[in-house]
Amino acid sequence: MRYLAEGHMPFNQDGVLKSAELVRAFLVMFLEVLLVVKKVRQRKQDGTLYLMAERIAWGPEGKDRFTVSHLYADTRCQKISPDGKAKIQLQLVLHTGESTTFHFSNDSSALKDRDAAKELLQQLLPKFKKKANKELEEKNRMLQEDPVLFQLYKDLVVSQVISADEFWANRLGDTNHADPSLSNNKQEVGISGAFLADIRPQTDGCNGLRYNLTADIIESIFRTYPTVKEKYCENVPHNLTEKEFWTRFFQSHYFHRDRINTGTQDIFSECAKQDEQGLKSMVVQGVKNPLVDLLSLEDKTLDEGYGVCTTLPSTSNSNRSVKESSNSAIIKRFNHHSAMVLAAGSRKGETPANQASETSNTDGNSRDSVFFQPPVKKVKLKEAIEYEDLQRENRPKTVALNLKKSDRYAHGPVPLQSQQYTTSQDIINSVNYIQHEMVNYKPNLTQVLSSTTASSAIAALSSGGVLMQAATQQAINQMVPSEVQGELKHLYAAAGELLRHFWSCFPVNTPFMEEKVTKMKSNLERFQMTKLCPFQEKIQRQYLSTNLTGHLEEMLQTAYSKFHIWQTRRMLRKT
Amino acid sequence: MASEEEINLLVIVVDVNPIWWGQQAQRATELTLSKCLDAVMVLGNSHMAMSRTNKLSVIASHFEDSHFLYPGKSWRMGDSCGDDASSSGDGKYELLAVANNLIAEEIRKVMSKTEVRGNSTDTLLAGTLAKALCYINRVSKEFEVGQEIKSRILVIKAAEDCARQYMNFMNVIFAAQKQNILIDACVLDSDSGLLQQACDITGGLYLKIPQKVALAQYLLWVFLPDSEQRSQLVLPPPAHVDYRAACFCHRNLIEIGYVCSVCLSIFCNFSPICTTCETAFKIQLPQMVKPKKKKLKQPT
Repeated sequence: MRYLAEGHMPFNQDGVLKSAELVRAFLVMFLEVLLVVKKVRQRKQDGTLYLMAERIAWGPEGKDRFTVSHLYADTRCQKISPDGKAKIQLQLVLHTGESTTFHFSNDSSALKDRDAAKELLQQLLPKFKKKANKELEEKNRMLQEDPVLFQLYKDLVVSQVISADEFWANRLGDTNHADPSLSNNKQEVGISGAFLADIRPQTDGCNGLRYNLTADIIESIFRTYPTVKEKYCENVPHNLTEKEFWTRFFQSHYFHRDRINTGTQDIFSECAKQDEQGLKSMVVQGVKNPLVDLLSLEDKTLDEGYGVCTTLPSTSNSNRSVKESSNSAIIKRFNHHSAMVLAAGSRKGETPANQASETSNTDGNSRDSVFFQPPVKKVKLKEAIEYEDLQRENRPKTVALNLKKSDRYAHGPVPLQSQQYTTSQDIINSVNYIQHEMVNYKPNLTQVLSSTTASSAIAALSSGGVLMQAATQQAINQMVPSEVQGELKHLYAAAGELLRHFWSCFPVNTPFMEEKVTKMKSNLERFQMTKLCPFQEKIQRQYLSTNLTGHLEEMLQTAYSKFHIWQTRRMLRKT
Repeated sequence: MASEEEINLLVIVVDVNPIWWGQQAQRATELTLSKCLDAVMVLGNSHMAMSRTNKLSVIASHFEDSHFLYPGKSWRMGDSCGDDASSSGDGKYELLAVANNLIAEEIRKVMSKTEVRGNSTDTLLAGTLAKALCYINRVSKEFEVGQEIKSRILVIKAAEDCARQYMNFMNVIFAAQKQNILIDACVLDSDSGLLQQACDITGGLYLKIPQKVALAQYLLWVFLPDSEQRSQLVLPPPAHVDYRAACFCHRNLIEIGYVCSVCLSIFCNFSPICTTCETAFKIQLPQMVKPKKKKLKQPT
């Protein structure tokens, strides 16, 4: 028990536990009560409000049981009455739409009580919110995205043919598997290289500077410069407040241009030293890619007048002018900053220990980078030499097709037709006959057709004729209006869904399946009663003699007969 | 410069199987090959008369080979090929007269050259259709770029289908479909499943004629209009095509069957080894519930 509201101690002045309080104390211990508020009215009854770890409950005065109890997971949100009002209330709205109102009626501390309750709820509700909402959100999303599913839902669940649980039983299963993989595919956000420049200092008016730091910028600084983060963890909140830390950060020479390391009082001088070291080790290790030659980027002189400088720049410290050394300091800082930003981008996870194995020491700070040198080089070389398209094709070995009876393809899937057998004599006779006929063939185009044959042919071809019978039948979709067609489609979708549930139960192996089969059969009957029969009556009343629902009825009958067979078998098995 | 009018090419494939026609003639039915060819000529003339840009071709399909009846190989427009025949005395459009004469001459040649060799007596319809497609392709290439040419093939079928030509036939059908060439069919005797499929796939008309002797009338009524004009006319509705395949083992038509995934041969029953390509298959049979053996209690 973390804290109890004032005046609610289980002991009286004599140190003896008050009896009612004793009972309450036990309740409190068992139920992990976080907050108890006395004198809270609910539905015009006085009582006490209890806020526990997973639920909120209210019990009337004098009784020890809770009449109202809600899980935080069921609560959608809380509402409070506006400050000016006389009645101080807190309302809990549940996911189902119900709401419960608590009226804080303690004369002295009503507002305080209410606010305490509200704050506690504010902390607790979000924890439970995610779990419950996610499923509902998923369901809502699915219904909104797919109008067919929505229609099915309306037809089946809203009209109470099947319950909502059964409806979602098969559907949500898929999404639960898909979700973890989806959420893991979120891409990591990198760091903008200009994040330090984004902190534009504004003049304060009286010779001071104002830096605006957002959480993003702070995160960027920590990710890029892990040394700064270490310092932060060491010093805040023990030694310095956040504000002081950042003030020092910006004042330090570490942050400013010229990193002259004077004054060891500066907590950031260590950081500067470490950065120097890091930079040196980066330079020493060099670039992994064997094809990148940084040294070739140095200035080369050809001759006098061709970009030549007569005195070669020396690298010893003594000859350097002040300007040159500050230039080189800036360049060094730029390089270091860029390297750190890139390293932070490729670093996954918070702990630096993780990144040593992943990255190839782009920030110069990882210890065991030496082990990874050879493979990277090899990979880069290989990439440059080999081209995928020019390789010999490594197609998997195929098996040759071995046809034994390939003559089957000659006739293909054509049924055997009865052949008329002709003897060779017949053949010879026919050929001779035709040759005889055609030897003196002359086209006689004026005698091709007699008028009687022509007119009989025309009669056959006119509407109503022998050949035109099929054309007089109107297509069924032209006779049935589109609303009726639409309703029929919905009926088919709903019936299909129910039948799918029904048939998936077979073969019936477990008692759960038996129950489900029986339930589905009653669902089918209910569907037929409530949806199919009215539809049939409707179309009969209206116009159509066409049998639109014959197929649906056939499907339902098949299902019923299967159920009947299964039931009789079961009876036989039992006896 | 390509002319605005589009060119319509009609290729008539006539089945002149001498055996079938000879048998017909022997039974003294009314429709003889001569009459059939007369009707074809009427159709051809009408087609050419419809428009100056209409083109015609007639191919005879025989059991030996396929022969172009029109246009001839060495045919030129102004050629005097047979002066006596070319000038028909009735003032006919010269093109029609020349065409008719040519067709008659060629068919006489074809028929006199017929020799029975005994290998096959089936009409080489698939081959003829392939030749027709090649001809259409050649003609379309001869015109200028941009000149639209619409082609269709009319098959006048007499003898029965030959199942051995199935593969070639299907290839021809799909090639025609790709080229947007209609295949129409006018069937004289027995229904042909292959031609029904051809007409269904390419969008043509299939008609089995009830009265053979009125062939010319049917040809003019149903097959003379081209595809655009057909949409404006009331013509016999398309027949229902039976697309059911026949199983390879029994040659029975089946609705549901098993297909080998390696060689695509169709079977009506499951067999663990495909007989065509000898691939072994395993299929998961539903679990059989083993009856529990009851232990006999020994009397103690």
